[in-house]
Amino acid sequence: MLLLKSFAKVIDNSGALVVEVINVMGGSRVASLGDEVVCVVKKARPVSGEGSSNAVSKLKKGDVARALVVRTVQPVRRLDGTFVKFDDNAVVMLSKQGTPLGNRVLGVIANETRQKRWAKIVSLAPKVV
Amino acid sequence: MRLEKCFFCSSTVYPGHGIMFVRNDAKQFRFCRSKCHKNFKMKRNPRKVKWTKAFRTAAGKEMTVDASLEFEKRRNIPVRYDRELMATTLKAMKRIQEIKAKRERVFMKKRLQGKKAQEKKEALKLVSTNIELIKTPALKQRLLEKKIIGGTPKSKDVEMA
Repeated sequence: MLLLKSFAKVIDNSGALVVEVINVMGGSRVASLGDEVVCVVKKARPVSGEGSSNAVSKLKKGDVARALVVRTVQPVRRLDGTFVKFDDNAVVMLSKQGTPLGNRVLGVIANETRQKRWAKIVSLAPKVV
Repeated sequence: MRLEKCFFCSSTVYPGHGIMFVRNDAKQFRFCRSKCHKNFKMKRNPRKVKWTKAFRTAAGKEMTVDASLEFEKRRNIPVRYDRELMATTLKAMKRIQEIKAKRERVFMKKRLQGKKAQEKKEALKLVSTNIELIKTPALKQRLLEKKIIGGTPKSKDVEMA
């Protein structure tokens, strides 16, 4: 459950480390697993001199970008009635077109993200629970 | 649909029950009810909490080595559906349950074998050491007759004086 002003961890190599939610896409007040949010980068990975690693560290502090919620602490109900919860709130950064900004996803993501739109992210993830 | 085991108390988690917690290293913890989930959040060790299966097996309170316990196991080999096989399995399940219950009864009986004698012995010891607490003379007389109490209660008073 992420809402306005919520902080979330970024689990890809887009360059951002911690983001703050500034809007939830789709008219809802809260974002759950598989929802898209707009966030601002609060903490970013320090830029390492030259532009050698261009793909890495695309985002820097203060940037606004979209993100996909992949893990929430708030329990989420599955269709069989069981609830699933995670250790932390985590997002994967997206471009305006909805493609992932980074090229790697680090850590487990929820099965709820397994939709047609986010197939790329699911395939990047090392484990889907 | 798979019936998982509760991480804390090892009971069966039926579909629609309980909660699953996924740690960041992707390890999944399933809990059958909020009691187990809360105990987990309190960082309690299931082997040290008396009502869990883990404790009971570790402390030798339940049957652990038995062929009847080998049937219920997690198998990752898919089995093609076969009506015959299903029917025989259902029949076998009932029979195995019976055998298991019987063996568990025997195990429990064996485990509690010397319990009654031990309790009686301890009670008698309590009576003989604290004879002054028995107020009814008739009961005292009976105990003396049965040689449960060694000396007369008077001698004890003398000793004390």
